Amino acid sequence: MGSRALPAASRPGRRLQRLLGEHPLGLVLSTPYTAFVVAVLLVPFGFGVWMAFHDFFFTAPGVRVPHPFVGFDNFRRVIGDRAVRQAFGNLLLFLVINVPLTVVLALLLATGLNAVTRWKAFFRVAYYIPYVTASVATLAVWIFLFNSNGVVNKALGDLAPDPSWLANRGLIMPLIAVYVTWKNLGFSVLLYLAALQNVPAELHEAAEMDGAGRWQRFRAVTLPGVRPVTSLIVLLAIITTGQIFTEPYLLTGGGPRGASMTPALLMYQKGIQQGQPDIAAAIGMLLVAGVMILTLVSRRVTEGRR
Amino acid sequence: MLNRRRSVPAAVLRFVVLLLGALLALVPFYYLIIGALQKRRDTGILGLLPLPRNLTLDNFAGVDGSINLIRSLLNSLIMTAGVVGLTLVFGLLAGYALAVLSFRGQGLVFALVLLVQAIPFQLLMIPLYVMVVRYFGLADSYFGMILPFAVNSVAVLIFRQYFRQIPPDVFDAARIDGAGEVRILISVAVPLVRPAILTAMLVTFIGPWNEFLWPFLVTKDASMQPLAVSLANFSQANSTFQANPMGAVLAGACVLAIPAVVLFVLFQRHFTSANLGSAVKG
Amino acid sequence: MRRVATAATATLAVLAVLALAGCGSGSSGGATATALTSGPIDIWYSTNKQEITWAGKVVKAWNDQHPDQKVTAQAIPAGKSSEDVIGASITAGNAPCLVFNTAPAAVPAFQKQGGLVNLSSTFDDAEKYITARSGAAADGFRSPDHGLYQVPWKTNPFMLYYNKDVFKKAGLDPAHPKLATYDDVLAAAKAIKDSGAADVAIYPPATADYTNVNFDFYPFYLANSGGTQLIKDGKATFTGEQGMQTLKFWQTLYANGYASAEAYSGDMWAGPFADGVAAMGVAGPWGKAQFDGKVKYGVVPIPTAAGKAADATSTFADSKNIGLFTACKNKLTAWEFTKFATNDQNDLALLETTGQFPTRTDVPELAAAFLGKNAFFEPFAAAVPRAVDVPNVDSLTERMQTFRDAWTSAVQSGKGDLPKTFGDAAGTIDGL
Repeated sequence: MGSRALPAASRPGRRLQRLLGEHPLGLVLSTPYTAFVVAVLLVPFGFGVWMAFHDFFFTAPGVRVPHPFVGFDNFRRVIGDRAVRQAFGNLLLFLVINVPLTVVLALLLATGLNAVTRWKAFFRVAYYIPYVTASVATLAVWIFLFNSNGVVNKALGDLAPDPSWLANRGLIMPLIAVYVTWKNLGFSVLLYLAALQNVPAELHEAAEMDGAGRWQRFRAVTLPGVRPVTSLIVLLAIITTGQIFTEPYLLTGGGPRGASMTPALLMYQKGIQQGQPDIAAAIGMLLVAGVMILTLVSRRVTEGRR
Repeated sequence: MLNRRRSVPAAVLRFVVLLLGALLALVPFYYLIIGALQKRRDTGILGLLPLPRNLTLDNFAGVDGSINLIRSLLNSLIMTAGVVGLTLVFGLLAGYALAVLSFRGQGLVFALVLLVQAIPFQLLMIPLYVMVVRYFGLADSYFGMILPFAVNSVAVLIFRQYFRQIPPDVFDAARIDGAGEVRILISVAVPLVRPAILTAMLVTFIGPWNEFLWPFLVTKDASMQPLAVSLANFSQANSTFQANPMGAVLAGACVLAIPAVVLFVLFQRHFTSANLGSAVKG
Repeated sequence: MRRVATAATATLAVLAVLALAGCGSGSSGGATATALTSGPIDIWYSTNKQEITWAGKVVKAWNDQHPDQKVTAQAIPAGKSSEDVIGASITAGNAPCLVFNTAPAAVPAFQKQGGLVNLSSTFDDAEKYITARSGAAADGFRSPDHGLYQVPWKTNPFMLYYNKDVFKKAGLDPAHPKLATYDDVLAAAKAIKDSGAADVAIYPPATADYTNVNFDFYPFYLANSGGTQLIKDGKATFTGEQGMQTLKFWQTLYANGYASAEAYSGDMWAGPFADGVAAMGVAGPWGKAQFDGKVKYGVVPIPTAAGKAADATSTFADSKNIGLFTACKNKLTAWEFTKFATNDQNDLALLETTGQFPTRTDVPELAAAFLGKNAFFEPFAAAVPRAVDVPNVDSLTERMQTFRDAWTSAVQSGKGDLPKTFGDAAGTIDGL
């Protein structure tokens, strides 16, 4: 955390400052959020942690069942399960497709949008529409486009994949990744657009005076200017990836052969449908750990200099 | 300024790329509307055309006959407004604290923000449900529906990112002028991140608006259910009895999507109006 | 950064302990209920229009007679996740008194949670009432401890619907199609595909959800095996000869593109047949309400490997039962209302209003007039005594999911080593 240079504070505040940091007000301002997080999310999460180390299932109020401590048994079972490993592998595949695609396409469209003068509002609205439309509706349309007799296969003719997209083990996860990219792209475009508008025009003009070409200007002025947003987008992508649930839930139920299974869907199956919240919690812990690690790594990479 | 000096071919290319992107984004939405208006389901390529003989509003009437659309819309509105309001207040305060101030525990708060996002909701769902219903007694209440969505870390991250883009001199100048931190937040920082407020609003409202599973769990009383829940129930249980089941489902999806789209169309121009860069310079 | 991590871990540890303490001090009592009481109760019923009409009438009739034991009724969502929602509300303690749509597949899990009342031991007349009404069918729903935790309510025997127009177009006999054996079906499927009369021959829900077992493998296996359940005496049964025949049959359907392994865009249960995409479809008597006015259809018994007479063919029951939940305060009223809702008059009304059969031994006599006027329902009525449901065993959902995963990998893919894949699945299922 970079601290900012400040004029010296008043003397009596010194002690307090040493204890609470330069701006104790920060504590006050972040308290509502923190308190809410603790009450609504961390307590149940703590419960989840506890579950992962016990033999546990949910019971009606008043029903008493022993919940013995089982150490790492749940984790051992989870890691030994091929389906779990496959689900995590699917997420990695998803991430590898989704993140670069989102960053490149969103930046491309946002740069174009920033420069264009006509139809600006129309484009902005168009890109954002998939993001606001409920998944149930957009997925129905995607199935229509990508089923074996769908428009896409008809256009491809003999090149159409066999088995077709939705039943193809190699294509279903990439398809879901492209779908999610498509659905959320408008959001990233808007973030980039807002950031681009904050890149001072003078910087561009100065670079142009120095004889920089369009591509050089883009690299030297635009990219650094939108760096925080890129970092935010990568962060959000990692986070949303961990939670991919609706698409396989509505589209495939995790099939074919687990090719579209995700940890979140697996947790739902185990924890809620099959009455094994302890196993689900262990998967959840692994997922949280994985997402946290990726997040920290991506923060190092994208926010590098700070 | 710069645009005028740019070459014509580049502008044309840019326009074509943008148009292509817009088409890709819009075709499914267009199909959603056409599908909702079809008398009989047409999955062929011709089904993409609005053939006058196959158009009807019956699907919408069918949905309205099965669920109380107005009441459900109102519930959605109340729930969403609650979520957006709480998110903005929490997000602005925490985002400002994280980006501009420096205090003990800052790292911990930021770690918390990330952790919150990293926890899959499927893990929390039942413990949280038990807490909200069994201990807080919030079943069938708006607050029960709002609760888990109000801690939206995306909003915090957005505000933090935007506050960080404001040059530190702006705050330092205000401090030298003798303004207190709270004053700085309200009269200097918040106006500067107006686009972020709108972004955060547009980002957060869509989640609860379309959310199905949580409000579905919390509300057992049909008159409290938001539209997404009523529609899911309708499409899973009753739609097959409609003349055109898929049409009815898509009609429901339209009713759900249109307020969101309208809201966005109304507010989208504000994404450009506040030019942070010039505001800082001015 | 390390300091942050340590602090975060410490916070979590504290929270875990707090949560643990919170759990320990839960409320007591409840499970060991004392005296049974009467008073207002709330119930849930399925959300389809027909059942809403039926339930509305039954509840009104009851409330008129029992102003001090008012029943508040409301629809539960009958969609994909209604079992999940009931499971969650059991844990939260706000489940309703009765759910008139409890899926037998979910009962073992609800029972394990302590959410369901053991009717046999709670009400003196329960055993007598239930067995008198449903006969031997009731035993199929007994839990491993021999108690009845559900009232068998309605049965919807599955039959094979076929599209008459498609059959005609494919050069098949629309009035008396040859669909008795697996070879017949495969031949018909080939004719349908070759003629292009329909996209696919049959299109059961394709997603990997465990419940979908009941829409492809299970009805065909029950028919072929003479009613052998998926799991018997704790062991998977599908690796026997009859199971393998059914698996091979479905694998051939998928391998030749006669069936589609893709998710359907729309109602995945009734949609493909109703939309004319599939030439055949498996459905209960409720199919009539969904297909009328959309396609012209006929009904035949579920085909078997060698062909069987209709009156010897078992099928899947697709039962929905009544569960009485432990969260209920006035269990006596709940039980009395259950009996009221399943009396002769209301059972008959159920059939007449919804086209679904009450699970009772005397349907042909009780509904003689209705069946006489509605010939369509007759074969279904005849099939009720041979309709079998899922076994009532522990970890049923997990076991069905194991089977389903093997199905998506070796059957829907159209290729795969059936004995090996399903042998492994059977081993996993036996071990659960």
